Amino acid sequence: MQTLTRRENLTGWAFTAPALALLGLFMIYPILWSLYMSFMTGKGMNFKFGGFANVERLTKDPIFLHALGNTLTFLAIQVPIMIILALVFAVALNNPRLRGRAVLRTAIFLPCVTSLVVYSVLFKSMFAEDGVVNDALLFLHIISDPIPWMNDPFWAKVLIILAITWRWTGYNMVFYLAALQNIDPSIYEAARIDGVPARARFFKITIPMLRHVILFTTVLSTIGTLQLFDEVNNITASQGQGGRPADATLTLSLYIYNLTFRFMPSFGYAATISWVIVILVGLLSWAQFRLAREK
Amino acid sequence: MKMTAFKGVLAVAGIQLITATMALATDITVWCWAPEFNGAAMNEAIARYTAANPDTKITVVDFAKGDLETKLQTQLASGTTEGLPDIVLIEDYGAQKYLLSFPGAFEPLTDKIDYSQFAKYKVELATVEGQTYSLPFDSGVTGLFYRSDLLEQAGYKADALKDITWEELSAIGDKVKEVTGKPLLSVDMNDAGAIRIMLQSAGSWYFNADGTANIKDNPVFKAALTSWVGMLKNQNLYKSVSGWGDYTGAFNNGDVAGVFTGVWMTGGIKGNNMSGKWAVAPIPKLAGVEGAGHASNLGGSSWYVLSSAPSKDAAIDFLQKVWASDVDFYQKILVGQGAFAAYLPARDGEAYSAADAYFGGQSVWKDFSDWQAAIPGVNYGIFTNEADAAVTAQLPGLIDGGDIDAAIEAIDAQIAQQIQ
Repeated sequence: MQTLTRRENLTGWAFTAPALALLGLFMIYPILWSLYMSFMTGKGMNFKFGGFANVERLTKDPIFLHALGNTLTFLAIQVPIMIILALVFAVALNNPRLRGRAVLRTAIFLPCVTSLVVYSVLFKSMFAEDGVVNDALLFLHIISDPIPWMNDPFWAKVLIILAITWRWTGYNMVFYLAALQNIDPSIYEAARIDGVPARARFFKITIPMLRHVILFTTVLSTIGTLQLFDEVNNITASQGQGGRPADATLTLSLYIYNLTFRFMPSFGYAATISWVIVILVGLLSWAQFRLAREK
Repeated sequence: MKMTAFKGVLAVAGIQLITATMALATDITVWCWAPEFNGAAMNEAIARYTAANPDTKITVVDFAKGDLETKLQTQLASGTTEGLPDIVLIEDYGAQKYLLSFPGAFEPLTDKIDYSQFAKYKVELATVEGQTYSLPFDSGVTGLFYRSDLLEQAGYKADALKDITWEELSAIGDKVKEVTGKPLLSVDMNDAGAIRIMLQSAGSWYFNADGTANIKDNPVFKAALTSWVGMLKNQNLYKSVSGWGDYTGAFNNGDVAGVFTGVWMTGGIKGNNMSGKWAVAPIPKLAGVEGAGHASNLGGSSWYVLSSAPSKDAAIDFLQKVWASDVDFYQKILVGQGAFAAYLPARDGEAYSAADAYFGGQSVWKDFSDWQAAIPGVNYGIFTNEADAAVTAQLPGLIDGGDIDAAIEAIDAQIAQQIQ
């Protein structure tokens, strides 16, 4: 009996070993290496041990603080908007009396199967100063002058928020739709019989029943926004350099990219900032779990 | 049986033939940006070289400049040499950065090229610890290209554009817009090229010779920033564009009446069907700055051979045979592309003194030669990208009426932080 378990164990390990080896080589080793790198200073490929010099540099770096501010701004504004929109769409599309549900559901989900770069390029052309969006707004007399989407710090931020909301709302909606299917219809029926108005049904039944999914999507969206890169490197880019104008859409990930591939390469410092993102993700996820914990 | 043996011999002979041709044929890959300029000049050089060396195949891969720089830096950082080209074009501002960051990545050409034949400043900026790595290509001597037909309508003849200040140019822009309805310039707010032009026109730069930031107590920097912001506040002066395509499209399509930039823009301008409607003036100068002149530089780049390149020797031979000896080649790319060579013997060629009908018979090349001689030399250092980013970050605030001294403080702080 004992030997059988041992043999089964061995077989188990043998089966998982290739996957573990790959995971170790391509996940764990780079992560440990980046931690090691974050203690290195020097220009380009000339490394030397710098101790906590990079952490010290962080605290005095105005661009880092600026990028952090931008990233948190995107997070604080975009994630709530997207979560609420996704909830509204999900509840509306869950209504069996709504016609053309399948088409609408597909339409809202479709953006998130497009490639990040492809949609970024599309947005860039649509929101150009003489692009279709401005043309349409001008034609409808909503604005009298074209909006400088790409050349004004404020509008550039708005554009990025619009873009990622368009791209990811459908993705979150699908989670809510799936969760809504799991709510027993008899609960709503009982509520209706008791005369609970629709509004209260939404806030008192739907939201509490979805709380775990809402938490899950919020944590995922937080992580995604902290890593925001493709959009700001493509939509608000000019001459091959993202984060424009005037670094108004510079995010932490883009700053890491600049430090590594565009500026005089500071690989160690870039690794340090990537660990800042890791710590932020950890902290924010922990806070969100705490907030959502049942009392 | 006999037949089979014969077939076998044939097959072996065939394989040997294939390997023999493979050994003879050499592939050289070149990375560069601006197909109408660098690419066209390179293709002309390739045509000349392959005429004499038909077994060599040279391929030019075209990128946007920013993409090329990112791709090169990424690949050099990764440590894998597969996929790198044999020859790569690097802009002068970035030369030292690459040479210092990636020791051993580029092939020193000190013993292979006679550098006394090239402009001294171009050689120096590609030299690290006594070794020179580049085949110096073009100069970026600056000029104010303008539509002579439109400016004449607005009442400005060629002489009216000589010896003016940037503020006077701004006033001319008002008049041009009023009369012709077109702005004088196209401006990409994310491009700090204008600041770089102004700085060097007065012999100054973002950095001191020792590499420290030269921003806060630099009167030239303050004057340049003040002038440029003043121009940007004048909405009549320019069309706001985003990206290189929009920027060049504006004057190539005739939406705006001019551009001040490096001589290398000539190729693009001559690519339009507007012969006789263009002219070139010296750039304006910074008012009230000692030592400021009408000559400056923007960009300019050089060819580098990668040490890891499989066809390294062939690549060096190619550079030697055409880029470092063919005077006639340089005449051709001067007239065709406006490639203002760093190869000094080329300057004695006839094309350098000829009049150009596209520019209304102006002897543009002689003018550029004169301005070239007057460019103050500066040390670009290794942090141009960082400094550009710090400057452009402040521009929108300044245009909205922000305080110039506060902005200079912020730029200085940002650069000081970045150059450690």
